[in-house]
Amino acid sequence: MVTTGLGATMVRAGRRLLSSLPALFGVLVFTFLLMRVLPGDPAVFFASGPNAGKEEIEQIRKQMGLDKSVPEQLVFYLSDIGHGNLGRSMMTGQPVLKDLRERLPASLELTFTALLIALIAAVPLGVLAALRPGSIIDHGVRLFCALGVCVPTFVSGLLLIYVFYYLFGLAPDPTGRIDVFTSLPPQRTGFLSIDFLLAGDVEGWWAACRQLILPAVSMALFVIAPLARITRASMLVSLGSDFVRTARSVGLSWRKVVVTYALRNAILPVITIAGIVFSTMLGANVLVEKVFSWPGVASYALDALLSSDYAPVQGFVLLMASLFVLVNLVVDICYGIADPRVSIE
Amino acid sequence: MRFVSFRLATSVLATTALLLIATAPSQAQTRAETLRYVTGASVNTLDPNIPGSTRESFALSMSTYDRLVAFGRKQLNGKWVFDLDTITGELAESYDVSPDGLKITFRLRKDAKFQDGSPVTAEDVKWSLDRCVTAPILGKAQLLTGSLTSADQFKVIDPLTIEVTLPKPDKLALPNLATVYPMIINSKVAKEHATADDPWATAWLKEHTAGSGAYAVESFKPGEQVIIKRNEAWNRGSPGKPAYFKRVIVQSVPEPATRANLVERGDADLVLDLQASDVQSLEAKGKLKVISTPQYNAVTYVSMNNQIPPFDNVNVRRAIASALPYEDMFKAALFGRGAPLFGATWPDGKPANGIYPFQQPVKMDLDKAREYLKAAGLPEGFSTTFSFNVGQASTAEPMAALVKESLGKIGIKVDIQKLPDAQMSTQINEKKLPFFTEGIVAWLPSTDYFYRNFYTGTQRWNYSSINNPDLAAIAQEARFEPDKAKYEEAGRKLNAMHVDLMPQIMLWQPNQDAVMAPSIEGYTYEFHRQVDYRDVSRK
Repeated sequence: MVTTGLGATMVRAGRRLLSSLPALFGVLVFTFLLMRVLPGDPAVFFASGPNAGKEEIEQIRKQMGLDKSVPEQLVFYLSDIGHGNLGRSMMTGQPVLKDLRERLPASLELTFTALLIALIAAVPLGVLAALRPGSIIDHGVRLFCALGVCVPTFVSGLLLIYVFYYLFGLAPDPTGRIDVFTSLPPQRTGFLSIDFLLAGDVEGWWAACRQLILPAVSMALFVIAPLARITRASMLVSLGSDFVRTARSVGLSWRKVVVTYALRNAILPVITIAGIVFSTMLGANVLVEKVFSWPGVASYALDALLSSDYAPVQGFVLLMASLFVLVNLVVDICYGIADPRVSIE
Repeated sequence: MRFVSFRLATSVLATTALLLIATAPSQAQTRAETLRYVTGASVNTLDPNIPGSTRESFALSMSTYDRLVAFGRKQLNGKWVFDLDTITGELAESYDVSPDGLKITFRLRKDAKFQDGSPVTAEDVKWSLDRCVTAPILGKAQLLTGSLTSADQFKVIDPLTIEVTLPKPDKLALPNLATVYPMIINSKVAKEHATADDPWATAWLKEHTAGSGAYAVESFKPGEQVIIKRNEAWNRGSPGKPAYFKRVIVQSVPEPATRANLVERGDADLVLDLQASDVQSLEAKGKLKVISTPQYNAVTYVSMNNQIPPFDNVNVRRAIASALPYEDMFKAALFGRGAPLFGATWPDGKPANGIYPFQQPVKMDLDKAREYLKAAGLPEGFSTTFSFNVGQASTAEPMAALVKESLGKIGIKVDIQKLPDAQMSTQINEKKLPFFTEGIVAWLPSTDYFYRNFYTGTQRWNYSSINNPDLAAIAQEARFEPDKAKYEEAGRKLNAMHVDLMPQIMLWQPNQDAVMAPSIEGYTYEFHRQVDYRDVSRK
């Protein structure tokens, strides 16, 4: 029974993955064309030395492969992608794949932590609000959520820096993932908090966590609202349903009623939203990355976009699309686990 | 079980405490000997010659490589700035210019060694200079401005002597050799990494260094940080001594407010690119040292495309020049931090000297502006766009609003256009923008150089697209004018033409605001507008 259930989930996941390939290809071609259509010639931008003339511009154009026609460029680009080559960034001078590989763990670590903080805060808040609708707690949660959403992440980020770093000196300087004077652990996962633990360096681990807290909190503040609201709404539905009334009437404990029956049934929409929130955060945390000098993929892509550096933008969009597919897949699987009745074909 | 975990916990605590005690003093010491420099930009290549390299890359290469010669420094209104007229030896122990000005002979230092320990020879110098004028790199266009164009011009006389031959006695030949690009590379190492497609090892040198400079690269993370450590054998600064700081950390911090916080809290030692408002408040607090130097080799313009109507009419350009609210713009955009290039009075109607950039005799006078518009046949005014790039929004945005308001009063309707940087450069290069603001910088700020590069030709830097054969001829002739008085005369003529034709309006030279910890000394404004890490020390 269990194996067939799991097997069915895996088959479904595999089918989903296959069906998303055309979409990925579409994203690939679309981004490629979009970048070429955008006004702004990267060659001119990068040939900005005090004496750069026509010759230098031509040379950069050639170096970036822009001297060929667009269809030709597309063919070259696709064959490069096929060989696992995402091109070279003009901005950093490095292969895009290397840049992304170094920066993605930073973004993921930040996003995961933020999402974790948000979930830990949002689910109990939502449940509390749903248990006493209309009460002072409910209004308090609503106010907190509204504030969280109203304040843009870079404002809350700057504010947190101002209070915890500038005024009280509790937080370390907001310059990236680790203090410049701390030596890095050998790279295994790319997640600093894990790498430090694997290396057995507790001090380093603490340093990395301290760097992580402020940016993660400022990101979390922003997404607590949708998560808490959706938890509240679906908890309300679930608390008002027949099975909860039955459970209450047969005298089950409060804990059993709320956590086991109501929350388990209310959690599906929360998972959906969490999946969406995660994907959005990963791409949209550019402001937090900028404010905290976090060497992540989003700020990398923004810099590249401003300077019309094609390869990194294309690489970034491809990466995000793949991650989106992956996250959706994980959400699907979670559905199956949370509610065995679900089978989306 | 509980006992074990307790023991584990205490031992972890004890070790941590021990570690803390052990590392604390040594860390404090290295902190004092470390310069932490934060910047909004980043280093993207270790070879500044690579097309697309950033200004931070230029600055880094000044410390990782030596050149034959270097600029001296002088005091300008109490602040140290680079001095174009004093050229001292760096790898060259001494140099001679032949009386006809056609031959420059450099004698190399006997004690100069590359960072791998091998001696610097004339062969290395020749290879490096050859690379600069032959390889498809940025140095080529720069050295062209000093009549250095071909490998034949560099001749090895003996292992410590090299001779440079010039087709004409060019004043800018020697200063050009002190600029960023003609750095001296260890040719033996570089040749090992050269390939048939890439005979000048550009790919390898982008990510590795092979120089004799004051610092060696310890770690390089493009877009994040570079750490360099001192080369103890280097003695090209003060005799017998290496550079002051043992380590320099160049770190990218994109958010200007964060950079301001870092330096104010004492976590960063030096920063150049703060917002004018932050600089002002930090200066007012008085805890930090703020050195503001007008960027005397840079100019910010309001440019008009002289080929696009109605700006092809000189009276329209004069009308604009009489209608800009200079003082307000200067305060709103820069908080008055810079050297104004407007509001001069020329009693006899002639330029005071032949130096460019100069203070122009322009001021806001709306009646005069209306007269000029009438003379241009546009008494009712016209509509146009005023563009600036996103990267300069903090200064250009308030300025654009004032331009719009003031020109509105004389009937010129202005639409403000904010363009992404790459788009702006493209449009300027294609000469499509009618009316915009932009800045320029010249590494070798001499009058003829400015006029030749920024007022002639069809390249991007001729913002106003002015095409005046007389002006071009005078500037070209001045280039090779050995007589100082005649050169000055040519400069005066050019400046007078500038005011008469008004191809574009010089606004100001913005300040370079270097904000640093009070213990930092020796900061000098360099031609590349970045910090030369070799200049600074800690008290």
